Amino acid sequence: MKNEKLLNLLNSSSVLISFVSFVLAVLVSGVIMLLSGYDPLYAYSIIFEGSLGSLRAISNTLIQATPLIFTGLAFMIAKKATMINLGVEGQLYCGALVSAIVGMTPLGLPGFLHFIITLVSGVIAGALAGAFIGFLKVKFGSNEVITTTMTNFIIINFCDYLVNYPLKSEGAVAQTDSMLPETLLPKILSSYQITYAIVIAVIAAIVIKFILDQTRFGYEIKVVGLNMIAGETAGIHVKKIMMLGMSLSGSLAGLAGATHVMSVGKRFISGFSPGYGFSGISVSALASDSPLGIILAGIIFGALKTGSMYLNMSSKIPTEFVSVIQALVVIFVSAPLLIKSIIGLDRKPKGGK
Amino acid sequence: MSILNQLPGILSSMLFMSIPLILAALGGVFSVRAGIMALGLESMILTGAFTAVVGSYFSGNAWIGLLCGIIGGMFFGLCHGILCIRYKVNQVISGIGLNLLATAATTLLMQIIWGNKGSSESVESIPIRLSFLKDIPIIGDIFGTQSILLLFTIILVILGWILLFKMPFGLRLRMVGENPKAASSVGIPVKRMKYIGVLICGALAGMAGAYLSIDNLNLFVRDMSASRGYIAVAIAILSRYNPIGVLVFGGLFGLSDAIQIYAQGYGVPSQLVQMIPYIVTLVVLTFGVKNIQPPAGVGEHDDE
Repeated sequence: MKNEKLLNLLNSSSVLISFVSFVLAVLVSGVIMLLSGYDPLYAYSIIFEGSLGSLRAISNTLIQATPLIFTGLAFMIAKKATMINLGVEGQLYCGALVSAIVGMTPLGLPGFLHFIITLVSGVIAGALAGAFIGFLKVKFGSNEVITTTMTNFIIINFCDYLVNYPLKSEGAVAQTDSMLPETLLPKILSSYQITYAIVIAVIAAIVIKFILDQTRFGYEIKVVGLNMIAGETAGIHVKKIMMLGMSLSGSLAGLAGATHVMSVGKRFISGFSPGYGFSGISVSALASDSPLGIILAGIIFGALKTGSMYLNMSSKIPTEFVSVIQALVVIFVSAPLLIKSIIGLDRKPKGGK
Repeated sequence: MSILNQLPGILSSMLFMSIPLILAALGGVFSVRAGIMALGLESMILTGAFTAVVGSYFSGNAWIGLLCGIIGGMFFGLCHGILCIRYKVNQVISGIGLNLLATAATTLLMQIIWGNKGSSESVESIPIRLSFLKDIPIIGDIFGTQSILLLFTIILVILGWILLFKMPFGLRLRMVGENPKAASSVGIPVKRMKYIGVLICGALAGMAGAYLSIDNLNLFVRDMSASRGYIAVAIAILSRYNPIGVLVFGGLFGLSDAIQIYAQGYGVPSQLVQMIPYIVTLVVLTFGVKNIQPPAGVGEHDDE
């Protein structure tokens, strides 16, 4: 009886699936740690302390969470429009590079205007990069998983070329010149590093929720996502939805890059992203594609990341455990049947197995 | 330095670079023909590369390394199969999840075994080259330094073609990919055939990975598959899921890799030339795939 109730809950509630998936991923990683001779309880307690144990730790966690919220939203919105956007990473680079260039160039404009243009130009760069993938899909039928993977390499290498040659600032490091102070996002509290980027991330999530729930475009995305043929029959331009979805996804990725250089980097530095775009896949999976859930999921993975860096300073435990957890979350969340069988709920109600 | 003098060298690099692409794409063909998308190829190559180095490191024997590479690839192939067939996971998501897992897990294990997250220690690499061809003019320049795995690759492509198109097994496999319900109704064990498809895929991709780590090099480097799994998927599509086509397109993409290596020798910034293979893939895929349809049953879950 109790099992049946739990099973019904699992069927209805994606939150529970996500929760169980996350716990399982943490447990599996813990077992790997144990087998390789580390103490998982110690590791997780240090991660907790390093990510949430003090105001400074929380500030660092939110800084790490910010790009993840954006990239999680970016992956999610494309997925709703039936596109798997593995190109979030490349689109993020586009946004970061363009924002950094606009931000370091004196335009002779009032500071606030320059700030806005810096932010918006990054968003547009990301949107164009996303729209390009949508265009290839709609016009030529190119599989977006492959085109995004290829464009990631092309974009990241090209950015690398730019900051190593034409845009390189003085000195040994491959980076652009510093951005002008008026184009940077202000800090929330003067003694901590955290900036208003996190506020923009939260607003973005709310706006996306509004778009999905309250607008015609959101409705059409949902219909197309559920049943493409039905959508077409109902008169929805599926190709337009794919294009718009990819543009919106790209603009969120661009926003991730723009806010990152405008708060953390203060310039474009070669290889600045430790795979924020790919972590977005895990974030959107853990949130089971709910916009507000992505805020929480972004903070959870941001905390893991921050905590693991703290852990790395105080012990020899490799930080890659966090990446393993992220990857396992993607797999577990996508396999509700697997989750049910692991926690023993797949048995038929009557008679043995 | 005329281009003609360079040609044997370029062709030789082309063969070097196309071996892993051909092997992995051949694996992809078997997977897709059985109705399972091959987007997890990247994970199978990377794991194969890693387990090959681990095998060679602990045994001191490169052949055991090669075997471990094949097993490692098959393990991820099996994972992909279990997720897609048994647990009915979206095949794209399963592939991507496994790719993420392979990157994370190999980096983690590398750090645990060798205490370094950039590259492993050097291990024994596969020693046999086709050196008996070395004294023949021109041919020797092209083939003399190639690995024995080149020979294996060509044999496997031919065997793969015979298996898929000339044997009852291939007919059954293709039927499972096209129409699992019909296949099931004539008594073909659909799930078993699908598992065989992904296992062959994993074995070949694992071998591709082993070639990268213990033949082309003698160590494992973080993310050394460098998206070859995705390029291999593109090759499998362009070849219309035919092993012979894989040979042709694998060679073409190998050539783009070879040009990249040569262009670096002429002082072009490495970041720019490294873009070449990816641009080639993007362009060829964009203009080359119209009207190419995968088998009709790909991506579907058969309910019982």
